[in-house]
Amino acid sequence: MGKQATEMLKGILEGIVLAILSVRPAYGYEITAWLRDQGFSDIAEGTVYALLVRVEQRGLVDVEKVPSEKGPPRKVYSLNVKGQDYLAEFWRTWSFLAERLEQLHQGGK
Amino acid sequence: MAAKWIELVTGSLEQKKEYRRYRARIDALPEPYVTVAKAFHRYFMSGAAGIPEDDSVVTMLRDFVELWERAAADGTPVRDIVGEDPVEFADLFAQAYLGKRWIDNERARLTRSIESAEQTDRSVEQTDRGEQP
Repeated sequence: MGKQATEMLKGILEGIVLAILSVRPAYGYEITAWLRDQGFSDIAEGTVYALLVRVEQRGLVDVEKVPSEKGPPRKVYSLNVKGQDYLAEFWRTWSFLAERLEQLHQGGK
Repeated sequence: MAAKWIELVTGSLEQKKEYRRYRARIDALPEPYVTVAKAFHRYFMSGAAGIPEDDSVVTMLRDFVELWERAAADGTPVRDIVGEDPVEFADLFAQAYLGKRWIDNERARLTRSIESAEQTDRSVEQTDRGEQP
């Protein structure tokens, strides 16, 4: 993953994380692992953790603590109603951007 | 700014206890996590990352030590957690928390200054056109 891709991703990673959580609840490491499988290789676990904190602080996800054999309990995140609304808006914004950029790419038709 | 924060954590007995628990959990981390966590702690306390200065700082520190306890339990390499740029990670993490910061007053002041300048500007424009402000 190049530097440009990393820069571009910064603004939309939060939306991506919420979209992953809309499929099913997950904990931080699962989200990072999924992103890496999909080719987002440069995304650090800490970055995903910070984004999860961010969406938790803004009330977009619910958090359940699940005891773990070793170490602290794992936090399982799930998208709540407020998060679903936020995600719907994210996709609308994304469609708008993708459409306009595609026009620009095709030579401003 | 950092001084204010120390004042805050030494403010109430409960916060003091919470802070001591947090420091003990940091100290209990194995290497290299303990060194890494302390390096971030120092950066947070310098005020550079803009950590919150109200109660949410307690939540922030708890989440922070949990991140490293998790990494230590899973044996996750430090670089996998921090990524390429430790400063960027530290700032992103600190900024993820809502809560009051010393910089808020300055930001509000700047916003108000521009709003009032804009209003003055409008009155001048109207006067120029011979209208009553």
